[in-house]
Amino acid sequence: MKRWCLIVIALIAASLSATAAAQPIGDVEAGRSKSQSCVACHGAKGDADNPAFPMLAGQHADYLLHALKAYRSGDRNNAIMNGQAAALSNEDMRDLAAYFSAQEPAIYSLQRGSANTD
Amino acid sequence: MKILRLLTLAAGLMILIVPALSTAQGDIEAGRAKAYTCLGCHGVDGYRNAYPSFRVPKLGGQHAAYIVSALKAYQAGDREHVTMQAIAGTLSEEDMQDIAAYFAAGGEEAVQ
Repeated sequence: MKRWCLIVIALIAASLSATAAAQPIGDVEAGRSKSQSCVACHGAKGDADNPAFPMLAGQHADYLLHALKAYRSGDRNNAIMNGQAAALSNEDMRDLAAYFSAQEPAIYSLQRGSANTD
Repeated sequence: MKILRLLTLAAGLMILIVPALSTAQGDIEAGRAKAYTCLGCHGVDGYRNAYPSFRVPKLGGQHAAYIVSALKAYQAGDREHVTMQAIAGTLSEEDMQDIAAYFAAGGEEAVQ
């Protein structure tokens, strides 16, 4: 009996996490229309050509959401981004993260090199 | 005579400024060795930060100047993240420039 309960709970948990992973973090089209003030520094599609600003195109959406929340909460201290993030709701942040993440990647995951690192 | 003095001044400034500009460029090969720790997380595709849960940022091809400014912010405490603050705290300006150059160039793609 106890074992069955555990199995059922495990299955429910697994299906919950699977749907969470499959769901997009926000609305890409809504993010596009909200991205007006971002693009001045980060480039039209998050492909900033000014090296002072990070390229966002193709970045992980959950990382972008984390960064925006950190700028809003003050966990990240940056004169420009603190002001920008203060004006955004959670939904705005989700949409923006979805939009920039969905653009043609300007950045990519690094690979650890072969064993030869001399 | 005045022109000569101006030229001397200009030459002097060049001597001062040009090396400063060149040291702003990191050394990709040096960065490769120094980035070993970084790649434990940033070199694993889809690697997740534990709490809060999010995938660690992609850094391949990112602007070097931005990577340096992010590392400095962690070092100064302007960005909260226990692990990144600890790692950035051990880095010199030169280390940051080298690591940033290596990432901006694409990591292993740059040295293959």
